[in-house]
Amino acid sequence: MIRRLIAGVAAATIVAVPAAAVPHAQAADPVVFTVGILSDIDSLNPFTGILAESYEMFQLQYATLLSTSSVDFTPDAGLAESWETSADGKTWTYTLRPDLVWSDGTPLTANDVVYTFNRILEGRYEQRNYGNYVRNITSVTAPDDRTVVMTTKVPSPIMERLAVYILPEHVWSGVDAKAVKSFANEPAEGETLVGSGPFLVVERRTGQFIRMVANDNYFKGRPQVDELVFRIYNNPDALGQALIKGEIDFASGLTADVFSTLEGQEGITTYAGSYSGFNELAFNMGAALVDGTPIGDGNPHMQDQRVRLAISHAIDRQQLVDKILDGYGTPGATIIPPTYSTLHIDPGTQTYDPALANQILDEAGYAMGPDGVRIGPDGVPMKYRLFVRTDSDSSVKSGEYFKSYLAAIGIEADIKPVDENALFEIIGRGEFDMFEWGWVVEPDPDYQLSTFTCGKRSYEDGGEVYADLSDSFFCDPEYDALYAAQSEETDQAARAEIVKQMQQIIYDNVAYVVTYYYDNLEAYRSDRFTGFVGQPEGSGSLLFQYGTYSYENVEPISADTGGEESSASASASPGASESADAGGSTAAEETSGGSNTGLIIGLVIAALVIIGLVIALVRMRSKSTEDMKE
Amino acid sequence: MAGLIILAFFVLVAILAPILISPESLDVTKATGERFDPPSLAYPLGTDEDGRSILLLLAYGTRISLTVGLAATLISMVIGTAVGIMAGHFRGAGSHALVGVTDWFLVIPFLPLAIVLATVLGPSTLNLIIVIGITSWAGTARLIRAQTLSIEGRPYIERSKALGAGNWHQMTRHVLPNVFPLVLANTTLTVAIVILSETTLSFLGLGDPLAPSWGAILDSAFSTGAVSQGAWWYVLPPGICVVLVVLAFTLVGRAMERIMEGRT
Repeated sequence: MIRRLIAGVAAATIVAVPAAAVPHAQAADPVVFTVGILSDIDSLNPFTGILAESYEMFQLQYATLLSTSSVDFTPDAGLAESWETSADGKTWTYTLRPDLVWSDGTPLTANDVVYTFNRILEGRYEQRNYGNYVRNITSVTAPDDRTVVMTTKVPSPIMERLAVYILPEHVWSGVDAKAVKSFANEPAEGETLVGSGPFLVVERRTGQFIRMVANDNYFKGRPQVDELVFRIYNNPDALGQALIKGEIDFASGLTADVFSTLEGQEGITTYAGSYSGFNELAFNMGAALVDGTPIGDGNPHMQDQRVRLAISHAIDRQQLVDKILDGYGTPGATIIPPTYSTLHIDPGTQTYDPALANQILDEAGYAMGPDGVRIGPDGVPMKYRLFVRTDSDSSVKSGEYFKSYLAAIGIEADIKPVDENALFEIIGRGEFDMFEWGWVVEPDPDYQLSTFTCGKRSYEDGGEVYADLSDSFFCDPEYDALYAAQSEETDQAARAEIVKQMQQIIYDNVAYVVTYYYDNLEAYRSDRFTGFVGQPEGSGSLLFQYGTYSYENVEPISADTGGEESSASASASPGASESADAGGSTAAEETSGGSNTGLIIGLVIAALVIIGLVIALVRMRSKSTEDMKE
Repeated sequence: MAGLIILAFFVLVAILAPILISPESLDVTKATGERFDPPSLAYPLGTDEDGRSILLLLAYGTRISLTVGLAATLISMVIGTAVGIMAGHFRGAGSHALVGVTDWFLVIPFLPLAIVLATVLGPSTLNLIIVIGITSWAGTARLIRAQTLSIEGRPYIERSKALGAGNWHQMTRHVLPNVFPLVLANTTLTVAIVILSETTLSFLGLGDPLAPSWGAILDSAFSTGAVSQGAWWYVLPPGICVVLVVLAFTLVGRAMERIMEGRT
């Protein structure tokens, strides 16, 4: 749901956070599980924060009505233990678990659920993060303390995916519609935030750490660790070193290079979990406002499907996976990642074939010019702006590859590195030809599919053009009709068929060249903690899931009895075997040992060379001054 | 002397780089090596994360680093000399204003100013040249102004004034030739500083990320975790090149300065 940069780090911020910043609380040595992350959260207020890291805090702090299964992403019980829909599919009844309580002991009732949903329905600011879940809901009521009834305009599958964090009415009723915009939702000194999730925030220091404690009243049982700390690192290298030194127990969002240095380190297990993110090369397919008014200055060549198809054939996706991701990912196809196996398709027709790409352009009338750049039928050379993001090293790197791929078929790409905030506005105004970016896709495909509908193109307000979700400006009535159909189709199998058709349309029109699906590279101290749960089971990401499964199940190794330990190590084994397959951990160990001695030798030689030079120069100098004196 | 030899070597490399190295070997999609290969016969300084030869990158980087260094120095010298001579020649409010601006540029810390400018202008080699050029002229202007003041006190300037020479004539025909040796000596010293600045800014990601200058090579080494990987062949060579070139320019500059001292 959130555009998230893949471990892109501004090199200016080299210094890591001081390790001493996190205080140790009780004398009874609580079990602390520390996670290193590469980006601070933007807010603890669930109406304000939009970064993936913030959402991780929200779901740890607040439970949702229903959850997403760790096994296969299907809807699962959350605060509600059961739910059912009426025959016409327009009335939904959720039954809450018995005896739910907030962390401060106040009972958690259906009234809290009604309060939260009504606040979003009636609010304006509150709509931003959760608007797409409630736009179909007409009323939310509580016939009794354990029952919530919602009515909708049309039947909709999103009613099983309501990722709305249920807030405690007795706390949030004190925060009015105006105050919520600047409400930080941070705990007072020595207190915890009132919540219903497995962990509760007790302390946050901007740019340094977020500290949480286990919730004794959590409905699935108190987690095995007492404290959960998220420590923020500004640099992937520092994050990897922190894991080796044992400052942290888990490193999330590693880069491939740092990941491979961690392979084979004693006590560390590396885990390349499949993830729901993809990166793409996008085109300006005719930037326009919602009403169809053209905007921007995109080259009209980009509106020619044959040009985009040729570009798609010119890009070697496998090489991008090998070189940029170091193999930790799979070549891209459509906008729904293979993690969602029931929805994903791979038409597999747009293979790497520069000869075919050249042939397509020749046939389309883009003749090769004298300087190796093709000239379009309109007499304009095929020279395009291609924006990459300076926030992400891999994005800039991709730009280099794209430039070379395109040069091979007679297209000149002018690589323009800008930062993400600037690019977001450039896209919204339609002032681009191509750009490189990525998305993280939710289990429910609605949000992702909506980004290609006509209604999500930019809009005008008070003479200013504002970006909406569409960044390709793709607009197709057939696609929009299918989008409406899938959002009302409650039969999952039938809906999947529609979603597959929609992916095929995007693929055939080449609205995006999906370059790759990347793995979430994680590593943890397997000598200290065990019990992690992947989503989907066995191959998926361990943290940053749709749910808090690993946090609920992680346990310290020293406290284990023998029997528990064996079962725990079994659950960790898929990761271990996978990392061995991917990199060959013994080989990695040897080279890292060898290169360390190499490093020392290199340093010594360099030092000697410099010292020698300086001595030689000083001698020459004194000689020459003597010469001058004479 | 040693400075000249080192300089001659690097200039030669910079000039010959495009002749000796085909653009193919720097093309990321056609790189033949493995990721982070240690030095070998085929790759004397190992490979980077794309499998390209570091030696070739370095040779190509020489070209970019020297070009940026010389071009930015040229801008810096032209501004510095013009401001310096004018500030020394004229009297009154105009001169005070020029001295004020020079002082302002001297006090403002270089790095924050350059980072802000580079961010506003956007990352490209040309912008880097401009940014460094317009942030590093103040020292030269100071020096030239002092020299101008001392020259202007000499009798022949007074004579030329009496004969009716205008401001322009005095500045270009009498002052400029006399401060020129100083300008030259100072140029070589400035080049050293400017190359260091270029490396710094490129390392911070403010240069053109697609042009492999030495600073940019160091930047990508750092961001791909070459240090953790123990890939010393990726980090040390560009660093040593910078040190050598800066040292060479400094030596030549000092030598020229000593020669000038005898004359003025």
